[in-house]
Amino acid sequence: METQPAAASAGASRAGIVIEDVMHEYRPPRGRPVLALDRLNLEVKEREFIAILGPSGCGKSTLLYLMGGFMPLQHGQITVNGKVVTGPGPDRGIVFQHFALFPWKTVRDNVLYGLEKQRLPRAEREDIAKRFIDLVGLKGFEDSYPSQLSGGMKQRVAIARTLAIDPDTLLMDEPFGALDAQTRSLMQEELIAIWNRSPKTVVFVTHDVREAVLLADRVAVMTARPGRLKEIVDTKFPGGLDPDIARTKEFIERVDYTWNLVREEAVRAEREK
Amino acid sequence: MATVAPRAASALGQRRESRPALARAFDTFAPYVIIGVLLIAWEVAAQEKLVIPFLLPALSVVLERIGTDLTSGALAYNIGITLYRTVVGFALAAMIGVSIGVLMTRVVSVRWFFDPLVSIGLPMPKVALLPVFMLWFGLFDASKILMVAFSACFQIIITTWHGTQGVDKELIWSARSLGAKDREVLWEIVMPAAMPQILTGLQIAMPVCLIVVLVTEMQMGGRGLGDAMLVAARYAQTPGVFAGIIEIGTVGFCIIKGMEYLRKRLLVWHQETMREETTV
Amino acid sequence: MTHKIIATLWRYSPLLLLAAVWEGVTQAHLVSQYALPTLSGVLTSMWTLAIDPDGLVYHTSRSIMRGAAGLGAAVVLGTTAGVLMAWYRPVRLLLKPFIQMFYPLPKSALIPLTIMWIGLGDPSKITLIFIGSLLPIVVSSFNATRGVDSVLIWSARGMGATDRELLWEVVVPAALPEIMNGYRVALALCFILVVAGELIIANNGIGFLINFLGEGGDYKGMFAGVITISLVGFLADRGYIMLMRRILIWRE
Repeated sequence: METQPAAASAGASRAGIVIEDVMHEYRPPRGRPVLALDRLNLEVKEREFIAILGPSGCGKSTLLYLMGGFMPLQHGQITVNGKVVTGPGPDRGIVFQHFALFPWKTVRDNVLYGLEKQRLPRAEREDIAKRFIDLVGLKGFEDSYPSQLSGGMKQRVAIARTLAIDPDTLLMDEPFGALDAQTRSLMQEELIAIWNRSPKTVVFVTHDVREAVLLADRVAVMTARPGRLKEIVDTKFPGGLDPDIARTKEFIERVDYTWNLVREEAVRAEREK
Repeated sequence: MATVAPRAASALGQRRESRPALARAFDTFAPYVIIGVLLIAWEVAAQEKLVIPFLLPALSVVLERIGTDLTSGALAYNIGITLYRTVVGFALAAMIGVSIGVLMTRVVSVRWFFDPLVSIGLPMPKVALLPVFMLWFGLFDASKILMVAFSACFQIIITTWHGTQGVDKELIWSARSLGAKDREVLWEIVMPAAMPQILTGLQIAMPVCLIVVLVTEMQMGGRGLGDAMLVAARYAQTPGVFAGIIEIGTVGFCIIKGMEYLRKRLLVWHQETMREETTV
Repeated sequence: MTHKIIATLWRYSPLLLLAAVWEGVTQAHLVSQYALPTLSGVLTSMWTLAIDPDGLVYHTSRSIMRGAAGLGAAVVLGTTAGVLMAWYRPVRLLLKPFIQMFYPLPKSALIPLTIMWIGLGDPSKITLIFIGSLLPIVVSSFNATRGVDSVLIWSARGMGATDRELLWEVVVPAALPEIMNGYRVALALCFILVVAGELIIANNGIGFLINFLGEGGDYKGMFAGVITISLVGFLADRGYIMLMRRILIWRE
């Protein structure tokens, strides 16, 4: 069982994501500020699929939002593909747990949105949109509105929308958390298929240990609040990304090991409440 | 009628089983039957002199009065001018109200300035300022229109402000990560997302406009349905007063229904349109 | 505690700013005295009128009395009607057409009617306020009662509640927040109708006073009256909100 100690590495010129010395304080309008992230250092290689796992409140979503540039960085630095993160951008696509689809737009218009922002010529836009809608299996639903779709379908639209602009990095915030167990399994398989077809750097936040071990090359386990990097578990299995891996003994052992790491923190988080 | 048959509380606590066709037909026609009975009773009571004609003129007499007004052109004129004042006042309130509401979300100083103003202004009986408006803006259409706009704009400001402020930040973040710039986010994301609430604010403001326009007309004169009704009251012309009530009631009904229709069209995509909830 | 006071002061400071501008602009004669008297003049007038036995206190209390009477009757009758409509189908069938017919009617259209029927005194004003406030209360009581979560009703039935107990002990309390919101709307409407009615035709009341002073050229007094009733309306709303919070203290 290979694990890596939490690595800190300089190198703003490196490809991939470099998180250096990041700290974040949550300041509620009333009451005392709370430290959400404490001196976090993490390096994500290009085209690596990394999962961020931890108990509720450990700041994993906060870390993702900082990578996305949605919240201002209070301390430290985040570099993506050599460029320092100062705000959101089409190089880092995001998929949210609650889909965040534009409810007044059809499926097609949702997927077209990013392409319109890129000022691509119309024929090209429509073509790309069509391709990605088909890719996620929603052919025939182009003119439906989000309120007419099931949870799983909505998430597919969200994924299509984000993938359509071909970001180098994909940030996913518990994307399957709002789905029922069966849909979740199906979506995991689909994500694997999509990634195998065109690998990207993926940062996948989840609290589901099995999901993390299944999907990711490495799993970064975080401590309870304030969030620090506890341990990084190597979860790359021979044969690449493959749902059938879940049946092997090796997989189950890895899940067990990771779960015990998380469990310590989950218990601590529960006590803190 | 005081006992409760199991079906009496049908929508409450019990799943609505499909009821026999006869009962459902009854449900649809009953309102019209009741109204029909009422109108007939009204006419009969008046004809049989069961009520003092002064207090309650016969329905036929009232309808006759409406007919006369229609042919003389007075009805069209009065409805037209009342609607003109209402719509212009409403439009003014909508433009100013939505603008301020949006600015309150975007610019902190604007919010600081207007927050106490609208917070105090909303529960105030703004008609109390009618004499002030008359002093400042005269006795004609201008003061009426401004009074209508002033009365309605507070509601619109608050609803627009809350609507735009409450837009799900994940929608905004998604748009920005798809490459949208600040101005694009405002017009392409925030406004459509806040539209249901903004429309609700407008729908609430319209009846206020109607109530106020009538008051201004009664107070200042200058033709219009409010003025016509008050004049009729002064000359003890009961049919005229009743006619006016029916006329303005119909106008109000049409406007409300019109706005509901517009809402459905604009918010085709919204869950509520899909679900077709109906309450009273 | 001091933090809260400072926060409230800061929140309402734009009003102080406006008051200062008002006083400044009028004192510097940038605006005609006949259009806008000085704020200090208005406040002085307010004081004079307040201590005048025939002044602010008398007229305002008359208005408040009328409003309270009309609104009180509307609350009692309207809530009962709305709740019963929601619970008993025959009541609903009977009353619903009337509600739907009169809902779109702007309530101020009733002013000439009440004048004609009942005359110029208090009874016509109170009737106007009663009829005007009735509809919003009926509608919100109806919607509130109908909207009560079925789960609550099923639980209570499962514990053996009779229909009557169910209605008054479970459904009405559950519907109370929305019902009380309906009262708040009716309260604002009540103020509008009181003032509107008094502006148009009355011989006492704050609306009458404002009109009377305005026509007589006492603009300081007129503005004093306007500020008074605005303040009363505002305080009534705030007071009601506090009352609502107290009664609905169980709400999260």
